[in-house]
Amino acid sequence: MTEKVRSKIDIRVPESAPAGDAWAQFRGVERIAMELTQSYKYSLGKYSRFFMELENGRFLATRCHGCGKVYAPPRPLCPNCLAVTDWVELSGEGVVKTYSVLRFSPGSNDDVRALETPYVLAYVLLDGADTLFPHLLKAAPDQAHSGLRVRVAYSDEPVHHPIHLMYFVPVADSERQQP
Amino acid sequence: MSKVPVIAAVGVTPIASEHRGSNLRDLMAEAVLDCLADAGMDDLSAVEQGLTSYESDHFNLQMTLGAILHDTIGMIPKPNLRVEGGGATGALALRAAWAHIQSGLCDSILVYGCEKNGRGVSSRTANQLFALSADVDWEMMVGGNYTGFYAAMIRAHMEAYGTREEQFAHVAARNRRNAGFNPIAQKPMDISIDDVMNSRPVAEPYKLFDCSLLSDGAACVLLSTEEWAREHCPAFDKRAPVYFTATGCGSDTMRLGDRYPELTNFRAKRTAAAQAYAMANISDPMREIDVAELYDSYSGVEIQAVEDLGFVERGQGGPSVADGIFDLDGALPVNTSGGLLGRGAPVGATGILQAIEVVQQLWGAVDPRRQVAKARRALTDTHAGIASISVVNIFERRD
Repeated sequence: MTEKVRSKIDIRVPESAPAGDAWAQFRGVERIAMELTQSYKYSLGKYSRFFMELENGRFLATRCHGCGKVYAPPRPLCPNCLAVTDWVELSGEGVVKTYSVLRFSPGSNDDVRALETPYVLAYVLLDGADTLFPHLLKAAPDQAHSGLRVRVAYSDEPVHHPIHLMYFVPVADSERQQP
Repeated sequence: MSKVPVIAAVGVTPIASEHRGSNLRDLMAEAVLDCLADAGMDDLSAVEQGLTSYESDHFNLQMTLGAILHDTIGMIPKPNLRVEGGGATGALALRAAWAHIQSGLCDSILVYGCEKNGRGVSSRTANQLFALSADVDWEMMVGGNYTGFYAAMIRAHMEAYGTREEQFAHVAARNRRNAGFNPIAQKPMDISIDDVMNSRPVAEPYKLFDCSLLSDGAACVLLSTEEWAREHCPAFDKRAPVYFTATGCGSDTMRLGDRYPELTNFRAKRTAAAQAYAMANISDPMREIDVAELYDSYSGVEIQAVEDLGFVERGQGGPSVADGIFDLDGALPVNTSGGLLGRGAPVGATGILQAIEVVQQLWGAVDPRRQVAKARRALTDTHAGIASISVVNIFERRD
């Protein structure tokens, strides 16, 4: 027999209702599949220059000329002073302050769906910044620790969201500046 | 007459991983009928206003749900307001209702909330939708999710104060055990600290049993002036009057990294608690509060909360929890309902369920196995995100 409802998942009708059930006539339940597909022309707004410069291998933050605070991720408006900030370039080196090891991906977009689990989400204090920048640390989970020196690496592969033009990697011993 | 709101009546549905036989409108109707029975009222005709509490248009696949639910429960044509504040939604809704009564805008208001966060959506969809409640551009798109944010916070707490995994495993085991004494709880479990420690890692140091539940459910509270309750609610005079005496609310940055150098604790919670304590004339919360429901979205969050709420000193959360002072037989029992870990957390109903648990504790009306003796003053602690919004509400029995 052909199913008359294409999206039907199942129907359950109990054989009998408990005595005194006020909902006795309402116990049969049908479930159907529903989908919601959405797409956006999503503007990156006044944050766009950060993403455009990642394509050039440059890491930008913003600095408030009022209080001097350096924001990475950037803020076009300083929430302390309500002053419009200035773009500044950072070296891209910094230190891990805390992190987590994720065993599942939220599947936020195609870049994230492509991640192999487990992966490390690190909160990095970039040299010259006052806030922590959250991003992937491409390192073995047991290599991650608070205090680890890391640097921004830039992706050569095409990405879906431009935030994936960058990620963090540990600073190799050979890269460390001699004291 | 006093404008301090009283709790006239409460209503709930059982909390479950999936209420297959009831959609959201059905669940809300069931909780409201339960509230009517609790009040000893036949209908809602005397109730002046309605306040709808739900978080997600996406989980529920319905916008303007407030209007639909208001209609479903027969509140047309009375005023309706929908309140949303992430995980804090239910507690914020009660706070808004508190202001409605205190301002004289009305003498009675039904606060009703619900959510279907359970198995009606795939876990992939659930993860994506919850990730939308992080900062989409800077956190969600780099693979961040709430388990990860909370894990990074408790890791910082462990490094700063020596907090140990066994200590938050104590919370996970205790709250699930408490749920065994709560007939509406979703997932009571009798598990040991070892069981928690040996459960599957989700985002280290958090493991499966450290994580709270995805739930379907609904709850409502009828708030009013004392005068209104005496006139319209036959049940009111049959039990001790409980007042909603104080409310506090604080906020913090959405992203954890913007809070640097503080990574271990919740500033918004301290802000909310300071306001609520000032309003309720509380100076020593550990002594002056008898029972509390804390927002245990993850087991370690309870350890951070007891510090930020001023129950113990900073850094003492882990040892104090492990000592059992917040257990059912401890000095200040918390999450007697089972909390988000054991009772469950249908988001729009969660803060309301927390209030109902402590109000029923003050009434002396819960299962004797979880009843806190002679409880006079109670607290609820509810937050959104990693406490980007935090609400502390205080309830007091006065007889």
